[in-house]
This record gives sequence, structure tokens and C-alpha cells, in this order.
Amino acid sequence: MYGVLERLGLRRSKLQLFFGRKKSAKRRLTQQVADLTGAPGVKLTARPEVLLGIAGKDFVILAASKAAMRGPTVLKAEDDKTRQLNKHTLMAFSGESGDTVQFAEYIQANAALYSMRNDTELSPSAVANFVRGELARSLRSRSPYTVNLLLGGIDPVNEKPHLYWVDYLASLAPLPYAAHGYAQYYCLSILDKHHHPDCSFEEGLALLTLCTDELKRRLPIDYKGMLVKVVTKDGVREVPVDNDKVVRSA
Amino acid sequence: MSNPFDINGGACVAMVGKDCVAIACDLRLGMQSLTISNNFPKIFNYAPSTYLGLTGLATDVNTVSDLFRYKVNMYRLREERDIAPQTFANLVSSSLYEKRFGPYFVSPVLAGINPTTGKPFICGFDSIGCIDFAKDFIVSGTASDQLFGTCEGLWEPNLAPEDLFETISQALLSAVDRDALSGWGAQVYIIEKDKVTQRLLKGRQD
Amino acid sequence: MSRRYDSRTTIFSPEGRLYQVEYALEAISHAGTALGILAKDGIVLAAERKVTSKLLEQDTSAEKLYTINDNMICAVAGMNADANILINYARQNAQRYLLTYNEDIPCEQLVRRLCDLKQGYTQHGGLRPFGVSFIYAGYDHLRQFQLYQSNPSGNYGGWKATSVGANNASAQSLLKQDYKEDCALKEACAMAVKVLSKTMDSTKLSSEKIEFATVGKTKDGKIYHHLWSADEIDALLREQGLAKVDDEPEAGDIK
Repeated sequence: MYGVLERLGLRRSKLQLFFGRKKSAKRRLTQQVADLTGAPGVKLTARPEVLLGIAGKDFVILAASKAAMRGPTVLKAEDDKTRQLNKHTLMAFSGESGDTVQFAEYIQANAALYSMRNDTELSPSAVANFVRGELARSLRSRSPYTVNLLLGGIDPVNEKPHLYWVDYLASLAPLPYAAHGYAQYYCLSILDKHHHPDCSFEEGLALLTLCTDELKRRLPIDYKGMLVKVVTKDGVREVPVDNDKVVRSA
Repeated sequence: MSNPFDINGGACVAMVGKDCVAIACDLRLGMQSLTISNNFPKIFNYAPSTYLGLTGLATDVNTVSDLFRYKVNMYRLREERDIAPQTFANLVSSSLYEKRFGPYFVSPVLAGINPTTGKPFICGFDSIGCIDFAKDFIVSGTASDQLFGTCEGLWEPNLAPEDLFETISQALLSAVDRDALSGWGAQVYIIEKDKVTQRLLKGRQD
Repeated sequence: MSRRYDSRTTIFSPEGRLYQVEYALEAISHAGTALGILAKDGIVLAAERKVTSKLLEQDTSAEKLYTINDNMICAVAGMNADANILINYARQNAQRYLLTYNEDIPCEQLVRRLCDLKQGYTQHGGLRPFGVSFIYAGYDHLRQFQLYQSNPSGNYGGWKATSVGANNASAQSLLKQDYKEDCALKEACAMAVKVLSKTMDSTKLSSEKIEFATVGKTKDGKIYHHLWSADEIDALLREQGLAKVDDEPEAGDIK
């Protein structure tokens, strides 16, 4: 869509060069971005998918909803919206179906290729910057990936936890806790209040339960429970959670 | 609503003093009205006394800052000297204009001291690289309207480094408090000939 | 015999040799010596600068030691024109890695990328191999301080102390004799000038004749690399008793 409008825009701007460059440039920019970011942006923040990330003292928890949806229909209730990139890095993703898995596995393959070629693994921060670069390149291509990501990992050198928030525009932010989709509106304030950077794994899980309880209480969608994984210095493992807990609505 | 310059929010300002310059930015990263991070600095260092502030679309803030690091590092290795602010201004300008028909959505602000002449230098750019030279101050970002007001009111010529720090800090903090899309603390650099001081301002955390 | 095989880089001789590569190595063995020594807290690189004429403009910039990026430097022996191409290639690769991963490139990876390029010129038809050997000194988090050497064939290896260029065989054996495991950077510097003074034509050295660089760690754990100024080199030479005393004309000077 961007490419088509860019071509339209290019023609328009050439006409406007007759009337003065500065003014025409300003007008063209605003028009172009409305086309570029407007519609999918709104769609992406309002997706009924839940991604949560919590970094603690020596771990990073990533949690993703298990429902694969298409419009109002649940296609699958045991969907895994995460991919392990290397021993110490895990990525969770949401967004346009098709784009998500395609992009995640492209990154996964590249991380694996790096490990094979160099007999060493990329650090979480290197992976995050690589992912951002690929997404930013795609953003200005003819058909950009519309994928939101959370990247969690432990730096193998100093064993420090890292959590990165990446949106479909390829904005990158390192954060102590992060969310994508509807979870942002329900959970970020809870995390603001209760999270502290030195929290233990048990405290982290309790914090996650606080968040998922709130989602069950307020979110009028059945997202089929959460798949929870944790990254520690020993690697990635799935954490069994009780998704059948009933939370009374307010 | 979804003007790319206003999606993530952020503000930046540079000022000239007596034999010194200052540059300051806020720390917010948001998506529309939702705040994602309160630790997203927008000022980047390219030589001992050359700093660039980038406001606008966060993805392009990242992309452009990394791109200039690449270009400036290559310049330094090739020339075996640091880049001067004036030279860097022209590099920024031509690099942005390269993308004239699909621009980076950023409004850069440059502040520095020329290493040979020792003269302060500031300038701003639009997103396609038109340079705006200024003798007093340069503003950019979602709070630029407010910044124009506060800077116009507070700035005076020949401020000493400490007074310049006070002026730029008050100007930025007052401006971002009236802007919903920027704020959450600030970062200030005071650049003198052979000395740079960096300060973090707490600011309102709401 | 060799005539039939040595004009093309891509053709093996019946003895299984690539003559062009060997000629490139031969060209390098006439260039000024360069050596590197790995110490426990840093690395020193030293190189002999061939002063051909006193009419030659002696500019301040190094001609045999180059910075590749923030954590890596290299010494060159061979054709400077070829070296410039490779150094530019290395710098661009290092910066591209930094752009992609926001991290400095691990030393061995950069050496390998450079050697992949060099190797290409021993295999593709109609091309001449690069007539340069490098000694690389660098630091990364994976393997701390590292010293590598590469040659025109595209082979590379990690070393504790090594040398390239004229008299490299004697320099190598001197290094083998004198090298101490876990030596400090300061001792390594002393060893470097001592070896250079023995392999160079003139026994008395001066800052005009050698170049010197070190990679090390500052007290607060930051990696620095430093190309020595003439004054610093002279100070080291005086300390080691190897400095030239008076201004007697040297063999290379035009009378």
C-alpha cells in the first residue's frame, strides 16, 4: 500500500515543485504518513492478542495468548506465538497472521545461521538490533511486515536479563516490563505499581497472574489462556500455569 | 492524528551561550497517548563536542542515529580527525535530502563547538534536510510550539554555562509540561570548548 | 617450467603450487618488518618504516599502522596501495556490523571476512592476489585480547607473538626466544623495540624509522588503542638504550 501511494505521492510532489519546494514537501509528508501508518496502526494496537514480558533479577518471562484468531473466530486454541532464537533468546510476536510466523522464522533462521557460521551466539541486544533493522528495512519496502514483538534474553557474558519492545514500525525500546495488544491498556498500570527490577522468579510469576487475572476480569474476549515461557541463564523453558482459574468479573 | 511526527512524541531544544552551547531533550517514547518508555534519550554524540538531537518517528530516530554513527565513524577513520559541527550539518542535510521522496520522519537539532575556531554552532533541519541556522536557539518535536514561547521568553545573549543550563532546563521542562506527548524527565548537555556536562532532570512523571 | 603455470593465479603448477601467491609472499618479504606481541593486559604492534629519501615529505600520519575500528588496529607489510583497499574494506565491514547488531564486530570475524576477500583473488581468473600481509591486534568480550596474522593466500591464524615482512624469520626466532607467557604490556613494548633493532639494517633506531601502537585497557575497564607519537617512541627508545645519539647520515639518505 505504501509503495503505491508513494508512487502517487511522487507524481503529486513533482507538480508541487512549481509552487515552491518547502510548502509542497510539508504537505506531501503528512499525506504520505496518514497512508503509511494510520490504518494498520489502529488495527494493530487494538488486536485481541496478548503479549506480556517481565524482566526480573536473573530471568525474563514472556507470555502470549494461545488463541489464533481470524476476525471473531477462534481457529486454534493451542497456538504458540513464540520462537526461540538461540539458547538465551526468545521472541514473542503478534500482528497480521501470516506475517508473524513468516517474519519470526526468518529471524530464527538468521540467528541459527549466525551461530553456525561463527561458533558463538548473538547476545540479546545484538538480536534485538538485528530484528529492528530487518523490520525497519521492511517498513519502507513494497509490502511491510506488520508484526509486533517482544524479545527476552539473558546476556551469556554477564548473565543480565534483557527485554526489548519492538512495534511494527520498528521502534525499539529496552524495558523492564512490556506489553503488546490489548494487554497494554489493562496490564501496564499494574506492572507500573508492582514491578521492581530485582524481583525473583516467583514474584515475577505472581505479577503475571495479577495481569492475567485483570485480563480475565476486564477483557471481553476469550483469548484461550496464556502460554508462559521463561529465559534464564540455563536456557528457555515453558512454565506450567493454571489457565482454568475463574476470575469473577467486577 | 497519525502524522508520523506525532505518533511517538518527544521534544528537543538547543541554545547558544557565551563560548558554550546546550542541547536538551525529553525522555518519553509513546504510541499516540500511551506511554511505552520513560527512558528514551533522543540526543546522540558524534564527536567530542558535536551532538545531534532527533525528534519525530521513533523508528527513524533509531535508524537515522545509527546511520550517522556509521558515516561519522568512517569519516573519522578516513580523515584521522573528528568531524566539525559545520561539516556534520552538511552531512545531515545531504543524507536527509537523499531520501527526498520518501523521507525519514525526523526533525534533527545540532549543537556543537567548532574544534578549530572554538565558536559555538547550532542549527536545525526539516525532515528533508533544509538547514535552519540560528544565533539563539532551535526547537523541534511535538512541544515545539510551546518551546518557541518558553525560549523566546527565557533566552538572552551571552549566557554563561551554568546560566545556560538553568535557562534551557526551565524552557524545556515548562514546554513539555504543556504537551501531552512529551516529558517524563529530560537530558541536558552543556558543551564547552574542552568540557561536556551531562545532567538528567527528573521532571514530572505523569 | 614455471612459465607455463605462473601467469595465472588460478592454475596450480604440477607440484601443486600457486606461483602468483608465492610471488606475492616474496614481494612482502622485501617490505619493512612488522611485528606484534600479545601481553596479558594488552597488545603491542611495531613496524619498520622505510625512509627512502630525506626529500620525502614526512607527514604525521602512520603509513604502516592503521585503526580498523574502536577495538582493533593492524600493521601492514607489503604493497601500501593494496593495503589501502583492504583496510577500507575492513573498516566498512566493521561499521556495517555495528550498524546491524549495535555491537563491535568480534575480532576473528573481521579477520575472516578480510581473508575471504583475499582468498577470492587466488581463485578467480585474471586477478592478482593482494600483496599484503597483516598483523591484527584487537579486543572483544568473547576472547579478550587477540593477535592475528593473515597473508595473501587468505590464510590466517591467532598468535602470541608474530612478525611479517623483511627478516621475519629471524624476528620470529627472536620472539620465540624472548617471549614470556603472561608478560605485561610494558615488557612487550621493550621486547618489540629490541627485536626490531636486531632485524633492521641500522642498530640505532629513531622515531622516524619505526611506528608503534598499543591496544590496552584503562583503569576503568575501557578498551583503548593508541598510535604512539614521535616523542613517545623516542622516550621508549632512550629507555631501552636504542636511540640514535647524533645526526650522522644514514645509509638510506641522499648525500
